[in-house]
Amino acid sequence: MERVSTGVDGLDAMLRGGLLAARPYVISGPTGSGKTILATHFLVAGLRLGEPCLLVTVDEPPSEVKANMALFGWNLDRLKILDATPDIRAHKRVRSVIDVGTSLDVRDMEEVQGVRQSSQVRSLEVTVHSVQKMIKQEFANRLERTKQAYKRIVIDSMTALKLFSMSGEDSRILIQSFMRFLSELEATSLIVSERLDRSTIETEFFLSRGEIRVHKWLDGNVIRRALSIEKFRGSAFDDRMRPMSIGKAGIVVFTNMQATFRTGSSALRVGDSFLEARIIEEISNVLDGALRLVNEAHRRQLPVEDIEVELSRAMLHFQRRQYQKALKQALACDSALRQMLGEAPAVEVKP
Amino acid sequence: MSVPAKIRTGVPGLDRMLHGGIVPGRPYIVSGPPGSGKTILCMQVLKEGLEGGERCLYVALEEPPNELKINMRPFRWNLDDLDVLDANSDIRRFEPTPVLEISTETEPVKMRSLDERIRKTADFESHEVTVHSLQQLLKNLFITRKYTRVVIDSITALRYFCMRDFEEALTTQSFIRFLTESGVTSLLTLEVPEDGEVPPEAFLARGEIRLHKLRDESGIKRFISVEKYKGSSHEEFVYPFEISSQGVVVHASQPMVTNAV
Repeated sequence: MERVSTGVDGLDAMLRGGLLAARPYVISGPTGSGKTILATHFLVAGLRLGEPCLLVTVDEPPSEVKANMALFGWNLDRLKILDATPDIRAHKRVRSVIDVGTSLDVRDMEEVQGVRQSSQVRSLEVTVHSVQKMIKQEFANRLERTKQAYKRIVIDSMTALKLFSMSGEDSRILIQSFMRFLSELEATSLIVSERLDRSTIETEFFLSRGEIRVHKWLDGNVIRRALSIEKFRGSAFDDRMRPMSIGKAGIVVFTNMQATFRTGSSALRVGDSFLEARIIEEISNVLDGALRLVNEAHRRQLPVEDIEVELSRAMLHFQRRQYQKALKQALACDSALRQMLGEAPAVEVKP
Repeated sequence: MSVPAKIRTGVPGLDRMLHGGIVPGRPYIVSGPPGSGKTILCMQVLKEGLEGGERCLYVALEEPPNELKINMRPFRWNLDDLDVLDANSDIRRFEPTPVLEISTETEPVKMRSLDERIRKTADFESHEVTVHSLQQLLKNLFITRKYTRVVIDSITALRYFCMRDFEEALTTQSFIRFLTESGVTSLLTLEVPEDGEVPPEAFLARGEIRLHKLRDESGIKRFISVEKYKGSSHEEFVYPFEISSQGVVVHASQPMVTNAV
């Protein structure tokens, strides 16, 4: 059975050579854990082999994807990108909403420049069905133009697709159909998905032929990252959680090391919820501290309105589960407050 | 009426946990989270049947049969004579096109003759599997082909994808009732979320074999337990198992004493 490289050596080793070709897989993990970067490795590996690759972007506009990935110095010029980001929703009745499937927008990454502007007269709506139609059309076009079929597809992300487009419809059947569609394309596909609720069984997770999970948690004030394989049909795999880093060259997985959590209990179930609990705890501590400092500043009648606004933004991010942003902002507020109150952290040398 | 003699599952160690095997002619649930080994375990039960000359059927609702065939190859089991019914729905059409009910079109295919590539949805029509049509098809198959062991993989997929316009709980119950009345020994796989309740289907069968997946620093640890077994005594312990080149192997001599599971 043909193996397909994920573009990350350590991960390929964990998968005993790579993914099994022509099947759909899921990459899961919390926000900011590196799912998109991992998926991009997979595409870059394909491009290096001269394989046609398609990125369907639902979360971020192509221009942002391009800018973000430029940091790693990858040449993605030959990557085809299908822009399935929805337009600004028209709230006025006069604008007619048209199905995104009717205005196919596939470009070479090379040509990607600014953000596509929402049209003044109509707005594009994205549904699973329309995305499916776009992919199908693009497959047919490609085959006609070059006699080559796409070998790799990334859907980034299923979470966005679900949020945007499946209200009121039976999402389980739509996803089943979409995954059947991906299987019939006989390309190896990666579906980026954030698990929103671990107490339900989400369709893409049990229908996928494998799940690669990316972990992120705070250890003191250091962000730690790890990667694990949760499921891989038809193959043996390394079932340990391996540390990984995101550096200049992208993701590196350390297969000779073991990721460990700073925790007392041994047979602890670790996964997103556990990691999330840790990061939540960490951010709440910082926020609590900052709020105490704000009170102190009020008592001393110091002007801290600006910082309070920043702090409320941090809390908003926190509520929206954008933990990375929340933490960054909360820490910034915390240090600004400390400075103002004259209690600079750690080493303080007074003249 | 006395309980009939038990039949072996053929899963090393599991028969001991079940005090001899399972009572034939009844439905059982095999539950566990994705990637816990449900499909492999069920395949072993079918292999055991085939080796005893029984007629066995595997109903695929999650995975295309071509992939199943490739996935089972490393185990080197002789599954050539296994009947595989492809009950995966086609890509749904959103335009009005004729939808064919599975019962009018589909037949089980012997494992040995399964195609190595995926079946493609036809351009102008598509198969839809509904619980009703599947039940009808199975009913006929049970009469004409006299199956003794049947695996439905999975009851979760059946509920999620084949019960549009049906009341899910009642329909699932009625499907399991149908299996009971047919007198076949059936295993139904059930997806269980990682954190949370076991879905209610578990209560409908005559027994439940549950697979557990726990992660600790040395990797994924797998455990198996018999949660329920009507009409028989069984081991109450949770035992470790592994997925080796022989499939699921339960280490039934060493129970795991813990509250963690």
